[in-house]
Amino acid sequence: MATDLRISNISKIYPGCIANDNVSLQFKSGKIYALLGENGAGKSTLVKILSGVVSPDNGEVFLNEKNLKLSSPLDAKKNKIGMVFQHFNLFETLSVFENLSIDATEDNKSLRVRINEILKKYNFSIDLDVPVLNLSAGQKQKVEIIRCLLRSPKVLIMDEPTSVLTEQETEELFISLKKFCDEGILIIYITHKLKEVLSLCDEVAVMRKGKVVSVSQTQNERVETLANKMVGQKLAKIKKKINISKNKDEIFKVKHLNFYSDDPFETNLVNLNFSVKKGECLGIAGISGNGQNELFQILSGEIITPDTSIIFRNKEIAKLNPKQRREYLMAFSPEDRISQAAVPELKIYENVALNNFKSSNFFEKGLVNERKIKEHSKKILSDFSVNTDNVELKSQFLSGGNLQKLILGRELITAPELLICYNPTWGLDVGAINYIHETLIKINDQEKSTILISTDTEELLKLSDRIAVIYKGKLSKIMPSEEVTPEKLGILMGGGSID
Amino acid sequence: MIKIEKRNDVPMALYFFTPFIAIILTILGGGIIFYILGFNPIEALKFYFITPISNLYGFSELLLKATPLCLIAIGLSFCFKSNNWNIGAEGQLTFGAIVGGGVALLFYNQEGFYILPLVILAGAIGGMIFALIPAVLKTYFNTNEILVSLMLVYVSKLLLDYLVVGPWSNPEGFNFPETRQFSDSSRMPLLFEGLRIHAGIFLALAAVMLSWFILYKTYLGFQIKVSGLSLKTAKYAGFKGKTMILVVFMISGACAGLAGVGEITGPIGQLHRMISPDYGFTAIIVAFLGRLNPFGIIFASLVVALTYLGAETAQIFLQIPKYTGQVFQGMILFFLLASDYLLFFKVKILSLKKNELRH
Repeated sequence: MATDLRISNISKIYPGCIANDNVSLQFKSGKIYALLGENGAGKSTLVKILSGVVSPDNGEVFLNEKNLKLSSPLDAKKNKIGMVFQHFNLFETLSVFENLSIDATEDNKSLRVRINEILKKYNFSIDLDVPVLNLSAGQKQKVEIIRCLLRSPKVLIMDEPTSVLTEQETEELFISLKKFCDEGILIIYITHKLKEVLSLCDEVAVMRKGKVVSVSQTQNERVETLANKMVGQKLAKIKKKINISKNKDEIFKVKHLNFYSDDPFETNLVNLNFSVKKGECLGIAGISGNGQNELFQILSGEIITPDTSIIFRNKEIAKLNPKQRREYLMAFSPEDRISQAAVPELKIYENVALNNFKSSNFFEKGLVNERKIKEHSKKILSDFSVNTDNVELKSQFLSGGNLQKLILGRELITAPELLICYNPTWGLDVGAINYIHETLIKINDQEKSTILISTDTEELLKLSDRIAVIYKGKLSKIMPSEEVTPEKLGILMGGGSID
Repeated sequence: MIKIEKRNDVPMALYFFTPFIAIILTILGGGIIFYILGFNPIEALKFYFITPISNLYGFSELLLKATPLCLIAIGLSFCFKSNNWNIGAEGQLTFGAIVGGGVALLFYNQEGFYILPLVILAGAIGGMIFALIPAVLKTYFNTNEILVSLMLVYVSKLLLDYLVVGPWSNPEGFNFPETRQFSDSSRMPLLFEGLRIHAGIFLALAAVMLSWFILYKTYLGFQIKVSGLSLKTAKYAGFKGKTMILVVFMISGACAGLAGVGEITGPIGQLHRMISPDYGFTAIIVAFLGRLNPFGIIFASLVVALTYLGAETAQIFLQIPKYTGQVFQGMILFFLLASDYLLFFKVKILSLKKNELRH
């Protein structure tokens, strides 16, 4: 029986951001659909609505013209909508069979028969009696897929399924997906990888900033056209004047940066080399999860890697911790505002004291100089227009934008020579974003340098003098930003190559 | 359907009030247990919580038992606040008592004002060294401090056993497992004639004041606070994580060592097998009941000390084993954790009917 899934005028608004803005889409079985978009484009929210994790503020979902009420994941299951998430929901210490039998409704014997049928039919080779922790990422994903298949789904949604797979496993997955599709299962494939869309899917819907911006047949698309749609061509209103002159000194230089991790959810970094000139902003673009976290932590000194050389103002600083690096006038603004850059349970002035540089005299002879810290905090609050003057306020009562202003203010009030920031405007409203962008441009005007690691291409094009793209832990060549187009960035971010 | 959600705003006042709720619930729970055992609950509770402190002697006993609990809990609060789970204070207490007791035995036939300070210092250093073992293993070899510190408790207890029956046993002691009596110069001065309360209580009070100062007024205290709330932030701020772990364990060990030396130079006066009725473990409850706050700990140590005394009184008057004290201590912890859970999370009961209607 043919399946027809229709999403009609779905909207979901979170405080400070519109995740889905009047989204309408139609899917029919027999085709593989791609849902393409950058981080924060609204794909995940839409998927969460379809799988019953989040309820929409507005709009309806129809399956074969039946209006679905999806108020819990259970409802999605009942209506034969299957979902494979990016992170697996498996009990590592239980066997494959035990994992599959947890929410089964039949007895173990017939369940085993049915699982074996599925294994045979799709050529999956998985031992049902080994603990899940012994499986590779690709096999774990197959277990999740089997779990969906056991419920004979009409719709199968795959959320970024290849992010933890090897090339080989990816190919296998594609073969299986095509088989499912031939059998009449409607497949919605969520990704930001352009090549996968072109090689696997029949139709592609592109989302940007919560809206569907285009629906088209993949045969009419190329990597470039998709990149364009994904990133958007709208250029920012405030564009800084480009600031590179060839004679400027290199203030910061990284050589042979390598990082290897055992954790499959961390990205290995492979031989990164780059430098930053005085007064310059170096942008590092990339879809999140391509090594930005690791890169930031190595640049800030939270992770020390052997054999890396980091020269800052003619001194080798690769072995120094963040506090010592601050003494050399570096400053850091991490992505995670509420559990790393600041502690919500602490008062504003206590959060300010986290950037304790030597000349601050915040702590004299080991004692807290509360008066000094509070004076300093007051200055930050007024200089960086944070909307409170109460330094005793707990930081959890600040909005995201005001907290970010406080953090940037704390980092910048020491007049650092180099600021490294990672997604500084993530999740903020337009007003706060503009303020922070203006601040970052101002630093460059004062001949101070910045490294901007960001997943927001618009922001990068607006602020950077030179841009490089990080993909799977490798850095592209560094390009002057006037030569960079959103199209080129999109291709590099999706793993393609230019020239 | 039951749904559990995190509460967004937990009022500070309520946070400090829940320990009282836990205590009230413990008393009610105790009453029920006594009733089931066939005692008049009101009478039994009276024997438990009122009789022991109804005279001056009883009150002095209360302070005597609260002193080591308070000292150890103060030390533990440094560890717990910074996310270091030292649960081996009993071992640090024992080792502190061994080292301090060893020094006291060296001077067993001498008198002099300098002896007691030496003994106390040796006890503190002993506890400190013993606490450094799990700390060093944690920082340099990534071991789990919970396991190491706990297992070291048994090491120190067996070492004490060996010493009191072997090399340090009293040559004139008819092979009893105990050492010689310490000389008077190694004993804590008594505060009042006829009562056992001794000068060790001043050590505990000094520890309270000092810890308040360190935790709230120094850079070390700030680092402990931040590390306890978010290790990620501590790393980002560049705090020297390893040094801090070593320091909090040393403080904690020194306090436990002091408590141990206070017991042997105070009421006991020699080393033997049973120098502590698990003060080191009970102090964990004290630390949490006192909300890791120095002044809260004073109050908590008095409450928990009362369960020790009550158990002894109940054994005498009601012929119930004194281990009921541990039942009460367990109940305090249980009710505290339970009320904390309800304080930080709310339980929503969703009616199934409403869900059904939607289909």
